[in-house]
Amino acid sequence: MQQTSADKVFNPPTLSSREFKRDNPPPTEDYREKLFELEKAGELEVQRVPEPYVELETKYGRIKKIPYQMTWHHKSCGQCGHIPGYSTAIFWLNRKLGFDYHDPRDQTSCTAWNYYASSTSNSAAQAGIAVRNFSQAKIDGYFPVIHCGTSYGHYKETREQLLHYPVLRRQVRKIMDRLKMPFVFPEEIVHYSEWVHAMRDRIAEMQVLDLSNVTVTVHPACHYHKLVVEDAVYDRDLFDGQRTAVISGLVEALGARVGDYSTWHDCCGFGFRHILVSRDFSRSFATTRKIERMKEEVNPDVTLTHDTGCVTTLDKSQFAAQAHKRNVGIPVMSDAQFAALAMGAHPYIVCQLHWHGVDMKPLLEKMGIDHKKAWAEFEVQAERIKAGEIEYISWEEADA
Amino acid sequence: MPENPVLVIGGGPAGLEAARGVADLGYHVKLVEKAERLGGMPILADYAALTPNMVNAEEAMGEMVQRIENDELIDIRTSTEVIRASGSAPALEIGLNGPGGEEDIQTGGVIVATGFQHFDPGKETQMYGYYEFDDVITLVDTERMLKAGKFVRPSTGEAPKQVCFIQCVGSRDRQIGNPWCSKVCCGIATKEAIEIRQLIPDCRVFIFYIDMRMYGFWEDEIYWKAQEKYKVNFIRGIVTEITKRGDQVVVKGEDTTMGRPVEVPMDVVILSIGMEPSEGTKKMGELFQLPSTHGFIESIGGALNTVVTSVPGIFVAGAAAGPADLEDSVSMGGAAAMKAAAFLRKANLRVA
Amino acid sequence: MSIYADAKYSEVPVETKQALFDEVKADMRYEHQLYGCYECGICVAACPSARFYDFSPRVFAQVMAREDVDTFYELLNDSVWDCSQCFSCTRCPRQNNPGAVITIMREVAVNHGLQSAKEALKSYSRIIYKIMSTGTQVAPDMLQPDFFPDWGPDVKQVSENLDVWRRCVPPETMHTTELAWDVSEKTRLELYMIWKLTGNLEMIEKIDEGIFMILEEVMEELLEENGYDIDDFENLLEEDEE
Repeated sequence: MQQTSADKVFNPPTLSSREFKRDNPPPTEDYREKLFELEKAGELEVQRVPEPYVELETKYGRIKKIPYQMTWHHKSCGQCGHIPGYSTAIFWLNRKLGFDYHDPRDQTSCTAWNYYASSTSNSAAQAGIAVRNFSQAKIDGYFPVIHCGTSYGHYKETREQLLHYPVLRRQVRKIMDRLKMPFVFPEEIVHYSEWVHAMRDRIAEMQVLDLSNVTVTVHPACHYHKLVVEDAVYDRDLFDGQRTAVISGLVEALGARVGDYSTWHDCCGFGFRHILVSRDFSRSFATTRKIERMKEEVNPDVTLTHDTGCVTTLDKSQFAAQAHKRNVGIPVMSDAQFAALAMGAHPYIVCQLHWHGVDMKPLLEKMGIDHKKAWAEFEVQAERIKAGEIEYISWEEADA
Repeated sequence: MPENPVLVIGGGPAGLEAARGVADLGYHVKLVEKAERLGGMPILADYAALTPNMVNAEEAMGEMVQRIENDELIDIRTSTEVIRASGSAPALEIGLNGPGGEEDIQTGGVIVATGFQHFDPGKETQMYGYYEFDDVITLVDTERMLKAGKFVRPSTGEAPKQVCFIQCVGSRDRQIGNPWCSKVCCGIATKEAIEIRQLIPDCRVFIFYIDMRMYGFWEDEIYWKAQEKYKVNFIRGIVTEITKRGDQVVVKGEDTTMGRPVEVPMDVVILSIGMEPSEGTKKMGELFQLPSTHGFIESIGGALNTVVTSVPGIFVAGAAAGPADLEDSVSMGGAAAMKAAAFLRKANLRVA
Repeated sequence: MSIYADAKYSEVPVETKQALFDEVKADMRYEHQLYGCYECGICVAACPSARFYDFSPRVFAQVMAREDVDTFYELLNDSVWDCSQCFSCTRCPRQNNPGAVITIMREVAVNHGLQSAKEALKSYSRIIYKIMSTGTQVAPDMLQPDFFPDWGPDVKQVSENLDVWRRCVPPETMHTTELAWDVSEKTRLELYMIWKLTGNLEMIEKIDEGIFMILEEVMEELLEENGYDIDDFENLLEEDEE
């Protein structure tokens, strides 16, 4: 006989009585099936994820393949332009892990920052630009890994359009014919933070800093986990599979503490157009909705994010707020830079932290990094460049 | 030759009423229930009081069970499932699997009353954190507590001071593939809101809703009563996400009537989870090859014929056919009994 | 005629408004971006712009679903540029995508050279020039204190040390100052071809004739230098419509 709860001791319905079983069929179609169908019909070529790969779980429980190496690094305008340690750290991690990767010159921006800012483009141009980059990756023999959250989201949006609108495929086919390039689309659109997540145990194995006293807040990028959600990475062991696992998974693996706060899901306030020409909006949003909330509720040592716009907005918005005596002052960097620091990367030569706005010194001290010595080392190199001794800092020097 | 019995699958409100009806009309019934106990969801999920009349679920369902238990025309099989079906009514070959092992029987007709299951809030595309936060619970969790005569914050075991309901969780949602309204959640949430206010008079209770669907007498019997007598706050607008701040959860949404953002800490948040076709309903649909709508079994006549399916001799009743309240379910059980008996009678006349 | 007593733009003929609305609706993407709206407000609470402007993704969804062309015209002029394009509103249980509808509305506003669009993009044009001519949206040399006075003294430091500091960045592709990274000439040409083949220069012309003329000159010169016949670049999209 099934007992009624009246017969039992009263137990409030706590979490211990709940376990999310992701056993429902996904509510979305499988884009890979559609891609392979189009390939079979001769409409395009699908670039396969090279082996070996890691299998990660996504939002609705499907498995996504993340390659270890042979990666084609689709760089980000804002990262390379204004946060150069971001891209450098991603490359440095690949080098330290001993992976073959390619940093192409035959790559353009996805141009989506401009598209979301000004709409001075159209879906045909946007799809043409995406496919040109993907085709180039295929020609180079490497698999694309996307550095920017917006590029990642926009390419997924573009994939949806290409899969559903034959007219768009015809337009792209014509463009590619004119460029004398094949029409290629990758099997998976992989964001670098997914790669970092997939590699987090290896990164932790090579960790040289003790981060157990470091508290981190995480800001997930809207274009990562809201714009086309189905293949963002989730992990049933993190947040019970209810929020994206990237960044948080890395922080846990590195032994630092993840602090939760009430505006976790909020945007950073980048706004695309706003960050360039209406910055009062971006600044107010970033400080009042994100930074001040984190400060008040967690008081973290650093906030980590995984997108160009988010690092920029969260970091650069704090200077003016500080001038107004607001409760701000949280260093901001990417998961890749944090991982690199944990593995012993140079804070200025590799992570290029001097390009960031908020003072990083208290954080670096807490992490056990001698920032004075490190800055002196950086300056020596800068002086050698000024004196014409060397043209630039080489990878050999950075790897050392 | 006595005619084959009518097989009633499912011992919830619809199935119980169907079994009684068939027997009252003088035909044999085999009532098969997967669980160990009759009574269906109100009993299995520990409902406290039934909507809208607030009668005790245990007592009300107990009466329904009692009415059929000693009827010699009704053979009750609990812990039993239907695993095979072949042939056609009125001579359907059915395979059962129960405590005594497998058994093959012949039935004259079938009433599928396999009901619904509660929506799993982990599938919700809003960020409600049911699997992350102790103090985010469901209507069902609330019923269990109310049945025990208590209502507490799960995280502390103490009485809450501020509670809210979020409506339409898992219903009316194209993203997750559940575009239907589950019909009963507005009423149940309002009923529970009244019960919480009765139990803890100094607790503020909010209901975040899109439309309050309080049909017929539910309007003044529960909705107006909740607003006027129990001062439940009805806020038009659904919560976008639930996050944690300190030891409380914060709900964030828009009050669309006022056009103002809402951001308020709560001691307990109750998700008004909707109905989905149960595993049994999906299985029986496949077994008897019944067309379905959103996974629920379709009747052929729409509003004018709610229980007849496209397969002769197979009838459907209750939430197996789509979201249904108790009135719907029991009425459909009666209608299905009448149709099944009529089917057998006509079949026997043909044989004679 | 608008149903609202306080309607704006009553002087604009309804045919004009209808034509713009029809253009938005005719975009192939539209039918999967806008269904109906039951006013739950989920999008609004997720929307950063709604917290700072008189802006509501819910209003966009409702107005578009109602096909209220008068209010559509108000939104097209007064509201469309406030959106952050973060797509937080995609959580809509009706599966509306107000942000994506706004992308299309902005495209239509640009294509028609609406005064409101020109104003919204006034100080933005130099970015259009950067992305279209170099293939990267922003560049290190844009970090100028007079452009980012609110970003603190680091911007000044970067701009003063720009050349040396860029050469202190190890990846060989990132020693650039005018581009975010070193985009090869071949690839830049390919990008120009895509812009030309998809009619993007014509869009720029509607918004900022000055930038258009410079872009046209720079790009055509480079294409010609590399042996391309620029008269050969018909707009592929127009061809497709035929």
